[in-house]
Amino acid sequence: MDFYYGLAQTVGIHTLIGLSAYVVLLTGQVTMAQAAFFAIGAYAAGMLTVLAGWPIVPALGAGAVCGAATACAVGFPALRVKGLMLVVATLAFGEGVRLFFFNFDYQVAKGEIKMGPLGGEGFRQIRYFQEHGWSTGEVMLFIWVFVGLAMAVLWWFDRSRYGAVLRAVGEDELAAQSVGVNLTAVKVSAMTVGGAVAGIGGGLYAHYTTHIEHANFNIMLATFAIAYPIVGGLKNVFGTLAAVIFVQAFLIEGLRFLGDWRNLLFGALIVAAMNLRPQGFLGGRRA
Amino acid sequence: MKKLAVAVAAVFAATAHTGSAFAQEKAIRITGFGAKSGVVRSFGINSEAAMLAAADVINKQGGVKLADGSKAKIVVDFLDDRCNAEEGISVLRRIYGTDAVVAVGPTCSNVAEPLFGILQKKVDDKGDSGLQMPVFTDVAIKVGLARISEWAFRNVPNETTMYSSLFYWLKTKYPNAQTVFGGVEEDFAHSRASWYVVMKDRAEANGYKVLGNSKWLLNDTNFATQVREMKNANADIVAISAHPFTTCGVLKEMQRQGVKPKVLVGLTSSSSLETLQGCAKQAEGMIIPTSFAPVTKEGKAAAASTAKFKGAADLHSMAAWENMFILKQVIESERISGDKSQLQADRRKIRDGLAKLRETKGLMGVTKRTEDREADKPYLFVQATKGEWKVLHNPL
Amino acid sequence: MHKLNLAYAAASIGAAYAGLLILQLAAGAPPWAVFLCAFLGGGIIGWLVYVTCFHFIPLSNPLAPLMSTVGMLLLIDEIIVHVTAGMPQNYPAMFDDVMLRVGEFTLRGDLLLVAGVSVVCMIALLALLYRTRLGLATRAVSQQAVAAQLCGIRVAQVNAMTFVITGVVGGIAGALIGASVGALSPLLTTPLTVKGLIVTVIGGLGSIPGAIIAGLLVGAFENVFQQFRGVTERDLYVMLLLFAFLIFRPSGLFKP
Repeated sequence: MDFYYGLAQTVGIHTLIGLSAYVVLLTGQVTMAQAAFFAIGAYAAGMLTVLAGWPIVPALGAGAVCGAATACAVGFPALRVKGLMLVVATLAFGEGVRLFFFNFDYQVAKGEIKMGPLGGEGFRQIRYFQEHGWSTGEVMLFIWVFVGLAMAVLWWFDRSRYGAVLRAVGEDELAAQSVGVNLTAVKVSAMTVGGAVAGIGGGLYAHYTTHIEHANFNIMLATFAIAYPIVGGLKNVFGTLAAVIFVQAFLIEGLRFLGDWRNLLFGALIVAAMNLRPQGFLGGRRA
Repeated sequence: MKKLAVAVAAVFAATAHTGSAFAQEKAIRITGFGAKSGVVRSFGINSEAAMLAAADVINKQGGVKLADGSKAKIVVDFLDDRCNAEEGISVLRRIYGTDAVVAVGPTCSNVAEPLFGILQKKVDDKGDSGLQMPVFTDVAIKVGLARISEWAFRNVPNETTMYSSLFYWLKTKYPNAQTVFGGVEEDFAHSRASWYVVMKDRAEANGYKVLGNSKWLLNDTNFATQVREMKNANADIVAISAHPFTTCGVLKEMQRQGVKPKVLVGLTSSSSLETLQGCAKQAEGMIIPTSFAPVTKEGKAAAASTAKFKGAADLHSMAAWENMFILKQVIESERISGDKSQLQADRRKIRDGLAKLRETKGLMGVTKRTEDREADKPYLFVQATKGEWKVLHNPL
Repeated sequence: MHKLNLAYAAASIGAAYAGLLILQLAAGAPPWAVFLCAFLGGGIIGWLVYVTCFHFIPLSNPLAPLMSTVGMLLLIDEIIVHVTAGMPQNYPAMFDDVMLRVGEFTLRGDLLLVAGVSVVCMIALLALLYRTRLGLATRAVSQQAVAAQLCGIRVAQVNAMTFVITGVVGGIAGALIGASVGALSPLLTTPLTVKGLIVTVIGGLGSIPGAIIAGLLVGAFENVFQQFRGVTERDLYVMLLLFAFLIFRPSGLFKP
């Protein structure tokens, strides 16, 4: 049972990073920076629970705020570029954040051992859940409370005017602008919301793996972040969830019985999925 | 009537035979896990082969004796964690959900650290909800990891001891060598720790002057700047703490720039086939301390058995082989029941059994086990000579 | 945007590996035979990428081809790892023992060959684009696909040819990288992907001379900052260079 709870935890956290990319993709911006906000949330929340002794929920909140603030700061220069250049710029930003953490040392002595991030060695012993006796099932529920919240908020956006405005900007910026939509506000706010969601996801990630290092937040993670909404379809939040379940539960864990072939099928099935359903599992913007 | 009697007797005999066959089919599952993907795929392949080969030998010798006196055979599974922390944790939880009594792995140090972090830190700590599964590591070698949890045990060489001994021996063999310059692969947990915490520290402790070190990254291909620093430092000994791909890159650049130190020292994991395949000529003369070479009778037999299962025998896979035999010993001494309903009790017994061990029998001789669940393995120094790793010096 | 291909570096290295296949058939083959095989391999892989990622996916889904190329990137990487068990493969080199010494400086012969071949490649590509009918058709399709189709240009065929040609160029690049590093490893793919994208953007999208000059610029920057700030911060400065270009000169060095 523990295994299924663990799998559900993984699906939950990946859904959070997928959702953070989903909201930005709705506005037509292809962002490779979500892994960076994820990383910022992870280090922030980890440092607060381990070094400052904060309880988990405020620490996650702080992680979300840090993620959102960084995303907001990135959102403004991101306005100046489109298409491939935005992809490259956000990729470079993501790599920049990763390299920052590669060089980041902040150790505090707790008793005889020093704790905290140590550059290339990473940040170990983020054991809030284990130290407070949370079972695997309880951690899973905790993670899914946040996933549920994020999905509910984004679902509500989709049903409200804000969601329509987001999609309008994504479809055709010129048309949206001519109707009076403030492009800057829309794009930057979408980025900020994405940053907040990624920050929470990152904080949860740090606590459920107990050890984070710069290499966890690499280009592969950033690619997976946008892969989930694209493969799942941008129609609604359940597309992203479906894609995460497809990749994490089916491709990675479910295909284990295939042994070595699993890895080969991974790439091949993604290619197949995109050719067979280019608009994503649940479909695209045109509902 | 006679025919009926014979028929009934035959049926009885048949069922009796299958009855005892059932009793013989008891199995103890040991699941290995490690990297079978990416650049470290060969490690997983070799570990799996070594585990299967060892299980084969144990089973041919009758299997393991359980608490009730019956014999059980060892069943080995191997799961791929792709050198990824999240997947490693998922794999261990999956293993925990099966009837495996112990897990052997992982390959990558960056998986071991988070993995040990989710285990229960101290046994019998009711407030700690960490996983209670014994993990016996064969490959992940970054210094000091078993300290993280009392359920984590490692059978990997102690780099501090080996390099201490190496530098001490180099002092006697090359008395003119006074200075050391290092080369470090900065972004890989193991190689980075091995330079700063092990090699540099031990060199200085043995009276060498460390002139400095140059750094590069795991997938760098150009080392001109770093080798130029090396050249300018002009140290007697150059110690390269990096894995085979960049080690070969640096050695080739050293050849180009004409850097020829008196002694060349390498990283434990680089004493493998990969280095020789990549740059045998440039690596000529490199000295590496290692915990395995096929010099003993047992070592040669283990290497031959592993080859039958299509794996290569090196210090990493042979640790997996040793682990299997150590686990056999613990299963028998702790009187494992092999009963599925007592699985968690069996796992606890294995943990306690491993914790009690003060020494184990390895392929190179007796291995001491330390208080913090690490191993003090016998080692020797090998040198790259004409495309092979030949034993240079056996300190024992 | 709907023609963004993230699999180019993997295809390039894959082509280099494909070049090694000829050594399986003829053990003592000379380096140029391996290189030729790499070029051909590159063309074939390029065509495969086109067919699996761009040919069937309708234009109304701009992000699907991007994701499909990511799938191809993973697939090519995995095929390489499976066939070679992840171990680096030695690559034949030409002029790798030639070192030209100019006073205090040394120039590596094999890297000069790489530079030379790149220049020849650039000239050949420019000639192809501006002096042949295929080049004309390619430029027409990239500017106005519908109008080009109306003029009788077979868009699908032109696109396929473009991918084949870029695949061949990628194969040349992969072979040269293998030759100058001396070994091929799956580790090479990711840094190439990232740096390639950065160089493309700095050089200006669609500009071939821009790509070469941007490549030299980025390479020089990397080494200069490695010298002054060390290897762990080196890539940060390349990112900053990219950001500087995006802010002050978003269209890159040369407009296409």
